[in-house]
Amino acid sequence: MDILFYMLTALAALAIVAVTAGIFYILIRESYPAIKKFGVIRFILAKDWDPYREVFGAATNLFGTAITTCLSLVISVPVALGIAIFVTEIAPDFLKGPIGAAIELLAAIPSIIYGFWGFFTLAPIMANHIEPFLMDTLGKVPVMGPLFQGTPMGIDLLTASLILSIMIIPFTASISRDAFNLTPEIVKESAYAVGATRWEVVKNVVIPYSRLGIFGGVALSLGRALGETMAVAFVLGNTHQITSSLFDTAATITVTLANEFTEAASKTYLASLFYLALLLFIISFAILALAKVFLIRYQKKNPGGH
Amino acid sequence: MERETRRKLQSAVALVLSTLAALFGLFWLVFILGSVLVHGMRALSPGFFLHDPTPAGIPGGGMRNAFVGQLLITFFATLIGVPVGILGGTFLAEYARGKRLAHYVSVLADIMVTVPTIVVGTFIYAVMVKPMGHFSGWAGAVALAVIMIPVVLRTTENMLTLVPWTLREAAFALGAPYYKVIIQVVYRGAITGIFTGVLLSIARVAGETAPLLFTSFNNTFFSGNMNGPMASLTVTIFQYAMGPYDDWHAQAWAAALVITFAILVVTVVGRMVIKLRYGKK
Amino acid sequence: MNIDMQIKGLNFYYGDKHHVLQNINLEIYKNTVTALIGPSGCGKTTLLRCFNRMHDLYPGNRYEGEIIFQGRNILSRETDLIDLRSRIGMVFQKPTPFPMTIFDNVAYGLRLRGIRKKSILSEKVEQALKHSAIWDEVKDKLHQSAYALSGGQQQRLVIARALAVEPEALLFDEPTSALDPISTAKIEELIDGLKENVTIIIVTHNLQQAARISEWTGFLMLGELVEFDRTEKIFTVPKEKLTEDYVTGRFG
Repeated sequence: MDILFYMLTALAALAIVAVTAGIFYILIRESYPAIKKFGVIRFILAKDWDPYREVFGAATNLFGTAITTCLSLVISVPVALGIAIFVTEIAPDFLKGPIGAAIELLAAIPSIIYGFWGFFTLAPIMANHIEPFLMDTLGKVPVMGPLFQGTPMGIDLLTASLILSIMIIPFTASISRDAFNLTPEIVKESAYAVGATRWEVVKNVVIPYSRLGIFGGVALSLGRALGETMAVAFVLGNTHQITSSLFDTAATITVTLANEFTEAASKTYLASLFYLALLLFIISFAILALAKVFLIRYQKKNPGGH
Repeated sequence: MERETRRKLQSAVALVLSTLAALFGLFWLVFILGSVLVHGMRALSPGFFLHDPTPAGIPGGGMRNAFVGQLLITFFATLIGVPVGILGGTFLAEYARGKRLAHYVSVLADIMVTVPTIVVGTFIYAVMVKPMGHFSGWAGAVALAVIMIPVVLRTTENMLTLVPWTLREAAFALGAPYYKVIIQVVYRGAITGIFTGVLLSIARVAGETAPLLFTSFNNTFFSGNMNGPMASLTVTIFQYAMGPYDDWHAQAWAAALVITFAILVVTVVGRMVIKLRYGKK
Repeated sequence: MNIDMQIKGLNFYYGDKHHVLQNINLEIYKNTVTALIGPSGCGKTTLLRCFNRMHDLYPGNRYEGEIIFQGRNILSRETDLIDLRSRIGMVFQKPTPFPMTIFDNVAYGLRLRGIRKKSILSEKVEQALKHSAIWDEVKDKLHQSAYALSGGQQQRLVIARALAVEPEALLFDEPTSALDPISTAKIEELIDGLKENVTIIIVTHNLQQAARISEWTGFLMLGELVEFDRTEKIFTVPKEKLTEDYVTGRFG
């Protein structure tokens, strides 16, 4: 009887391995026609996405994914660290819990709500107020100017990245907060004892002390942002192009899949979409594995951690 | 002295910025929930829950089909995902405790927790929808179950690890075989945590859209047939939002309201239970 | 004998109810070692942490009375805590190196004060490391992480870090409680040599240690200063019965 229960649980645990391997295998199998036709490097670098001529390349999708992911990190990481600093070092005790919990609630809101709200509420505000303002200010700055030029429609890379950044703030913030909390009080006190200001203690002691934890949190958020579909599907426009302006529409791997998967009429088209899914799976798997490596090393250094 | 003033000023500025960051985060939370509440309340009526959709473009109708579809898909996803997750977590925390294999599997599960859900959708499309020849509620349920398993597995593993080892020893000392110890003693000690973890994981998958797009697809008619395409709230929101009718938009807001607050309530309650039961972490 | 610090009618409250220190009066003399002893929970560490206002990092604390240091009451609202803490250094129960190199640890306080010039930094770091008797052990690995050092070495490094900014006083909070006997002996020897330049106040639960290294000793119990006198008097002819009971080990 015990051996039976043992087998049952072992089987269930192996299910996770089987599913992972299965996803990998099936995606390769399904995208095989496209792999054969377009190769690997060529597919990644090709900008074509033409269902009529049946020529497909991942470059525009990778571009959209890379830009929205990077930009969302640029916005969210400083904010998330700021929140972690606020919650651990500044907020009075009675506010620490509630504010931390409220920020974490952002992570519980379904991603479709972000996209839906972004489409109906945020995009018009971006189009009518924020983007014209950015165009008049940052758009006139040399070098970075072109990023903020064009037609402010609200349905673009900038809006999508902003929504993504709001979505991932809680992940970076809560991991950073936990990491900050593990900095021994006595080490912080000794920095104060040589006359450091609060900010100097955070900058020179707390942040270096939590470095690996923060890296892990950022990498985890990066993985989230990469694979997010619904939050960006509404506000990115699904246009296969590589542009220099953040006010332009674009497509990410996820958005392309969401919009085109059920419409793919030909074998090559569908295989190319599976190929995109395979690329996304490999990229996010690699980044999440990296995040785990950071976090595991961090936990080894701080056995009290969680 | 001047230098010290500058350092203090710098510190003050940094702390003010951190406070602003917190306000920035809270601002979005209030903004999003506020929008959903204001717009959603307008379209909320008993008919919204009790009627099926009217043909496209004709005002009126509700989302009964989507509510039922959502419940069915989520229910079967739970039915498939939870036992597998709990049993798998049991293996890692009990039989394979401390073994290298357990460590690797649990790291893998952690990765799978965050793997893009739309990829799971394409996977299920290839293994279920394509061979069967049509979209189905089953495919949707399995897709959500695949997303649930790693979450439940990790929660179970964590909760079982929190049960003190001495408790098991005490049961062993009475001559109980391991499976009885697990079922009668260890599970009992961890029941609150596991149950709450399961609840949180249901809340998580209930808001998923991407994995349903090409599995359960959508259905404008009421259907209890898990073997055919099935409506869900989330996919319907997507479809209605992209459609041209104001009435659709209003109903999508109402659906957004229902699903958001249902998920937030479950999440908040779940987190509070965990906090009360297991302290700060 | 010069008075360095004068504590007058000091009361310390934690929250509304806890009256942790009650009417403490004593004088700390310049270039001496003063030991604070007493059973755990007697308030000796709390008293020590009043001298550099460490309590101010946490909410719910209230001071009453005066601590006069260099002619000013450091408990007053106007006190610049950053300036105060750079004049009065502190060493803790456990070694607390920062996550940076040995050199950067010692140079940390100097850099905060705006010293950027490499030659000055190197000179001051070397001096501080020599004063804390660790120079020979670390001179070849100044740019390695401070975590690579042993516990005893880390503690001396931390003392060097505190010394580098040339404080007028150093507070030690049970500095050897986490160390082995050999490291402890080194630290004690070091403290003895340091008093030429700085005034030292040390909290210790180790009575022999207090007897070995201090000139003055204060005995606290339940938040009150029971007796304060020359160390040899405290340990040989105490005035108070309580002190006698404690130093002879009748309770503890």
